[in-house]
Amino acid sequence: MNILIIEDETRIAKRIERMTREFFSDSLSSVNRVDELSDALEFIKNNPLDVVLLDLNLNGENGFDILKLAVSESFHTIIISAHKDRAIYAFEYGVLDFIAKPFNQNRLNQAFDRVLQNEKKQDVDIKFLAIKKKGAIELISVEDILYIKGSGVYTEIHLKSSKKELHDKSLEKLEQLLPKSFVRIHKSYLLKIIEMDKLVVKSGSKYTAELNNGEVLPVGRTKYKEIKEQWL
Amino acid sequence: MISKKYYFLFILFISFINSSCEHQRVSEQTSKVYKMGDDKRWSSIDFDDKDWKEEIEVNSDKVFWSRTKINITKGSKEFQIYGVDFVNTFGEYEVYWDGVLIGRNGNPGKEKQMGPTGEMWRSYRIPDGLSKGGEHLLAVRRSLYYYPENTRFNAFIEDYDHLLEFPLLYTAFMNIFAGGFLIAAIYFFFLFLGNKKQKPILIFSVSCFLFFALIIMEFIRTYISIHYSQHNIRMEIISYLTFFIAILVPLYFSLQFRYPKQKYIFTTYIVFLIYMFYRKHDWYDYTSIMMAMTTWFFLMGIVSWAVYKKQKGAIIILATLIACFVIFKLTYFDTSLFTGFSVILLGMFYILSVKAKKQRIAYEKSLVQSTRLRLELLKKNIQPHFIMNSLTSLIDWVEESPEKGVLFIEALAREFDLLNQIEDKTLISIHKEIELCIIHLEIMKYRKEINYIWEQEGIVDGEELPPATIHTLLENGITHCAALKSNEMKFKLIFEENKDSKSYTFLTFGIVRKTKKQTRDGTGLKYVKARLNESYGDRWSFSSQSTPEGWKNIIKIENK
Repeated sequence: MNILIIEDETRIAKRIERMTREFFSDSLSSVNRVDELSDALEFIKNNPLDVVLLDLNLNGENGFDILKLAVSESFHTIIISAHKDRAIYAFEYGVLDFIAKPFNQNRLNQAFDRVLQNEKKQDVDIKFLAIKKKGAIELISVEDILYIKGSGVYTEIHLKSSKKELHDKSLEKLEQLLPKSFVRIHKSYLLKIIEMDKLVVKSGSKYTAELNNGEVLPVGRTKYKEIKEQWL
Repeated sequence: MISKKYYFLFILFISFINSSCEHQRVSEQTSKVYKMGDDKRWSSIDFDDKDWKEEIEVNSDKVFWSRTKINITKGSKEFQIYGVDFVNTFGEYEVYWDGVLIGRNGNPGKEKQMGPTGEMWRSYRIPDGLSKGGEHLLAVRRSLYYYPENTRFNAFIEDYDHLLEFPLLYTAFMNIFAGGFLIAAIYFFFLFLGNKKQKPILIFSVSCFLFFALIIMEFIRTYISIHYSQHNIRMEIISYLTFFIAILVPLYFSLQFRYPKQKYIFTTYIVFLIYMFYRKHDWYDYTSIMMAMTTWFFLMGIVSWAVYKKQKGAIIILATLIACFVIFKLTYFDTSLFTGFSVILLGMFYILSVKAKKQRIAYEKSLVQSTRLRLELLKKNIQPHFIMNSLTSLIDWVEESPEKGVLFIEALAREFDLLNQIEDKTLISIHKEIELCIIHLEIMKYRKEINYIWEQEGIVDGEELPPATIHTLLENGITHCAALKSNEMKFKLIFEENKDSKSYTFLTFGIVRKTKKQTRDGTGLKYVKARLNESYGDRWSFSSQSTPEGWKNIIKIENK
C-alpha cells in the first residue's frame, strides 16, 4: 500500500501519518507527506499510489482543482477537511470518503477499511467521473454512462452517446465509487442495470445481457442469479 | 411624475400672474406737457397749453406744472368710482382732475422749509361725475427739490377699489411667499449647523434668506410710506440683494454640478457680473435685468453641461430655467424676477433632495460595510479552517503531551479574548494589534511546528490601526510562505513617520510558495483595504508583493 498525505498543517499531517502507519503496519510500502500543491502534483506524477489523503484548503488555495485532478487518477482519494460543508460536493466528484476535522483513529480506520474491503459506500451518490483528456480534466456526468469495461489497469467508459472514454481507475475502484444502480455483471463489465433490456440464457450456460440500444454484453455465470434478482 | 408636478407649479404661477397683474385698461393718455411757474388757472381743462413743452428742466424746489390729457375709453358704471394711481412718482405735488383739486402729496414748492413729506405710491379718488367716457385733464402742480431730474411720472386711471385692494392682495401673497423662504432659510441653516461640511446647504439657506429679504424690501412700501428722497436707499438695498443672489445661485449649481476649469470660469462670471452691476448702477431696473440675464445664461451653461454629462436632476433644472425664460417673456420684470427666482430656488431644493438621497444611500452602504467588517473580524476565529485545524492539532498535543496541550489552550483562549475586546472597534492601539499577532504566532507554532519569530521597529505609543489588519497580513504571510531551511520564519513590523504621512511596513522572511493561481487579492486583502477605507477614506495606500526574502506589505496613511 502506497499512501500520500497532502496537508499543510504539520501537526495534523504527522498525526495522520502516525495513524496510517498504525493501521496498515506491515502492509504499508510507503507513506509520504507533502504540504504544498506543486509538490503534491509532482509526487502524484512520479510515484505509484493507492490512496491519497487530501486536505482541500491548502495554503489558502481553493481545493477544487486538486480535487478534480485527484479523482481522475488511479488511486482512491480520501478528503480530510475542516470544511464539513464540502462533503457532499466532494462525494459528487467521486472521493471514497470524507473525514471532517477534528478526527480520531477510529474514523480514519473506518475510511481505510473502505479501501481494503472494497465495500460500496452509501453516503452521497457520485455525480461526475473526472477523466484526463488532452492534459486537461473533463467531467462526465454519471447519468450519461451506459456501462464500464475493465481493460487492464484502465477502464473504458461507454457513454449513451456511444462515445468511449478512458479512466485511470480500475473497475474495482470505480465499482466502489459508483452508485448501486451500477452492477458488476462480469469480471470485466460494470453495467447500469436500468439500461438492460433482456437477460438471455444461451446454450452451454452462457448468459448475455441485451441493452436497450441493442448492444450485447457477457454476463458472468456466478453473477447471473444475483443480477436477475436485482433486475426483477 | 416630477415633470408633471413642475408643470402644475408652472401653470399655477402663470395663472396667478395673469389673474392678479393684468387689469383691463379703461383709459389712454393722449398728451403730456410741462411748464415752469405756478398758476391755478393751469388746472383748467379749457386752458390753452400750446406753448407748453414735452420736456422740462427743473432746478431747486421751484414749482412746475404738468398737464396730461387722458381719454377715458370706458366710462365708470353707476356707483363705480375711478381713481388716479401715481406709481413710483418723484416729487411733492397737488393733483387736479378736470380743474378740481383731488389730492395733495407733500408741500409742492415748500419742500425746503417744510422737510420731506408725502410718499411715492398713492391713489386719488376721481369725484363722481368726472369719470365719464371722453377727454379729461390731469394737471399736477409739483416740485422736485431732491431729485430735480426726475420730472417724468406715470399716472393710470383704474377702478378705485381695485387701486386700493390690489397692492394689499399682492403684498399679502408675496408675504406668504417670503414666509416660506424665511422658514426654508432657517431650517436649512440649522441643518447646516448639524453638518458643517455641507456647503451647498448653507448656500441654499443664505439664498433663501436673501430672497426673503428681497421680497420684503420690494413690498415694504405697502407698510411704510417712502418719501421720494429715500427711494434710492431702498433701490440700492434691492440691487445689492439681487447681486448677491446672482452670485450665490450659480455658486450653488457650480458645487452641485461640477464642470471643468470651474474656478476660472466662475471668476470670469463674477467679474462680468460686477461689471454689469456698476455699469449703469442707478438704472436699477435695467441693472437688475442685466444681472438676471447674465445669471440665467451662466446657469444655462452649467446645467447644459450637466445634462450632457448625464448628471442626476440636471434635466429638471434645465426645465426650470426654460420656465424662467417663459415667465420673463410673459410677464413684466418685477413679477418675472420673483417667480423666476422662486422656480430656481425650488430647483435648488430639488437638487438638494436628490443629493441628500444619494448621501443617505452612501451612508447606509457604509453602515452595512461596517457591520460586514465586524462580522468578518468575528468570523476570523470561528471559521472552520482556523478552529477545526486548531482543535485537531490540540487533540494531538493533548494525546502526546497534556502540559503542552494546556499551553496551547491558553494561547487559544488569549487570542479569543483579544478578538473579543477589539470586535466592535474601528481603530485599536498598535500595541493591542501586535499582542494579537504574537499570540497568533504562538498558536501557529503548535499547529505548524515552525519556529516563528516576531520583530518590531519604531513602534510609537498612541498609534492606532484598524483591528486585525497586521494580523490579516500575518495570516497571509504564513499561508504564502514556507519556513526557511532552519525551520524558522520571521516577521517584522516597522513603523515610520514623517510630517506628511505614517507608514507600516510588514515583512515576512520565508520561502515564497509556488501557487498555481496568482490569486493574492483574496478575502484577507479585501478586508484590510475595506478597513483602511472605513477609517481613512482615500488617505491611504496599500501594497503587497513578494520579495526575494519573502513577502512585503506597506500600509501608508497620509496625515489630514
